[in-house]
Amino acid sequence: MKYKKGITQQNVIVKCGADKFLPFALIFGLYIILFGTVSPGGGFQGGVIVASSALLLYLGYGYKTASKAISSEALRVGESVGATLYVILGLGGIFVGSVFCRNIFYNIGPVGDLISGGTITFMSYAVGFKVLCGVGFLLLLLMGILAPDTDNEKEAKE
Amino acid sequence: MKTKTRRILALICVLMLLAAGLYALVWAKINLPPTYDGSKVNMNEVVDPNVEDLNGADGAAAIIVQKNLDEAYAANDVASVVFDFRGYDTLGESFILLTAIAGSFVILAISHREAGKEEEKDEV
Repeated sequence: MKYKKGITQQNVIVKCGADKFLPFALIFGLYIILFGTVSPGGGFQGGVIVASSALLLYLGYGYKTASKAISSEALRVGESVGATLYVILGLGGIFVGSVFCRNIFYNIGPVGDLISGGTITFMSYAVGFKVLCGVGFLLLLLMGILAPDTDNEKEAKE
Repeated sequence: MKTKTRRILALICVLMLLAAGLYALVWAKINLPPTYDGSKVNMNEVVDPNVEDLNGADGAAAIIVQKNLDEAYAANDVASVVFDFRGYDTLGESFILLTAIAGSFVILAISHREAGKEEEKDEV
């Protein structure tokens, strides 16, 4: 892949748009994860929305800044942590004496409240965290492929 | 010769596993009591048409919501189905995502490295 000179320089309008929309994308995605059990939405969808904000960062500032701002190592670890949390929360049902993924400690609030779902709520959070990290890592990977090779060569020379 | 004997041994092992599995299936079918057999359930006891309004717009939906609240105490039926009643399904989906990301990571890393090598060759 070869780009013309100057095409890697970011457009001011795109940069300003990314600045404006990044916090909204993050807040919207985190809201969908938080209220996944009492509203339309859920862990998967909210996680994907949060991860897509990495793409906004890439559009505004390029691959170098995005890869510096987001630690791919932390994302890789976070995905495994989310999956493990889900399995541990699911195994809670077996330790109580019922089946896998049974909803335990569910009488903890009025119906429709944020944590009224009991274990379901925390499982939804675990899945949301896992999808956030996984899709974010995937997007970073794709950005690395899409990024112009001139950046990498410069880094190698330095 | 060696590979042939190995293959025959592997085939025998697979057949033995298959036979053991079939025996376990038949044994379970004959000896274990059924966990749920719908024959003795009276639907009028589960959902009483005299008490609950089945003809209204929200008839069946209201019953589903009420039963779900009694069972799982979650306001969102879909969330309780996805994370409670079908928890294995969600677990498998999330592991599909994990596997897909690992596979794409491998493929993209290899193609990226090969592209870099080709460019180096061209430059030379």
